[in-house]
Amino acid sequence: MIYSYTKARSKNLITSELKLLFIFFFITIIMLLMTYLFLTYKNYSFKQEHIDIEKSKSDLNISLNKMNSDIKFIEKQVFVSKNIFTKNTILKDSITNMFDLVPDRITLSEAKLLKNGLILYGITPNKDVYNFMLQAPLRSIFHRTYSSFYPSENGWLSFVSKNYIDEDEIIEEEK
Amino acid sequence: MKIEVSRQNLYLLILSVALLIFVLFFSFLVLIPQGKQYREKRVQIKKEEAELKVQKKYNEDTTNVLKELRSDNKHIISAFANTFETKRFKKLHDNYFSELVISKEPTESDKDGFSVYSVKAVSKINSPKTFYNFLDAINKTEWIISINFPINFKRDGEVISSSFTMKVYSNLVDMNLTK
Repeated sequence: MIYSYTKARSKNLITSELKLLFIFFFITIIMLLMTYLFLTYKNYSFKQEHIDIEKSKSDLNISLNKMNSDIKFIEKQVFVSKNIFTKNTILKDSITNMFDLVPDRITLSEAKLLKNGLILYGITPNKDVYNFMLQAPLRSIFHRTYSSFYPSENGWLSFVSKNYIDEDEIIEEEK
Repeated sequence: MKIEVSRQNLYLLILSVALLIFVLFFSFLVLIPQGKQYREKRVQIKKEEAELKVQKKYNEDTTNVLKELRSDNKHIISAFANTFETKRFKKLHDNYFSELVISKEPTESDKDGFSVYSVKAVSKINSPKTFYNFLDAINKTEWIISINFPINFKRDGEVISSSFTMKVYSNLVDMNLTK
């Protein structure tokens, strides 16, 4: 016997409101989890990046140190070589000056260039030529000049001229 | 006044509160610290990247300085790296002398961080001018050579006998920095 014309609706545990609630929280939780995963991934990638940067920095430091020591070494090589080149040039000038110093009337037979002096052996027609034309300029250059003469076979005079610069002057010049 | 709440609505309310609590706890205990960490790390990485960039630039500049130094002083660097060979020296400078005898001295020492050894040269030259030319050439030769006192010149007929010592500078064996 039917008392009502409407059928009784079936009662579910999961109602439409509950479904709506589930959907809402599901979306919320998914978004939260995705954010969490994103942050975790990013933090991990930052950590890796930090390690890479530290490694790059350390590599760069090593290469920089090597380059700096190379630069220092090359600069030292350049400094030493420039000194040597200058010394050679000065030496050349000294030898040129020495030969220019000797007048045509005097003939040299031997010359010894020392660090602190010059020893000349040669022949001169007479003492005056030697004194005025060679000894005078030598005296102006060197601190101590000693000359000795002995007669030569052709009537000229053989001479030995020893000229020295004081050691302390050389040390001062080197400084 | 009595509030009537159906059982279903009660379940709904309890579930809503439970999920809300979960969301709040998850956010405050996990997400926010993680986010804070992310923000700090991002700032730190940016700072480190900027530092790295500066360091790279400095490295590049230093590389350029080194390259320039190497190209400007190619001759000097290779001269220091070369080992002195008497045969090669004679071959290169024979034209300045009518006779040239080169002998390596046994003494060897270190000076200013370089290996230095003496070479004695006995030669015959036609005129002092050739010796000047030799001194000019010595600065452009394959080695770093310093001509040292004493230098002796002696007339020997038509030629001049000369004897002098040279000091040859080269890199120490364990210092291969310029390679």
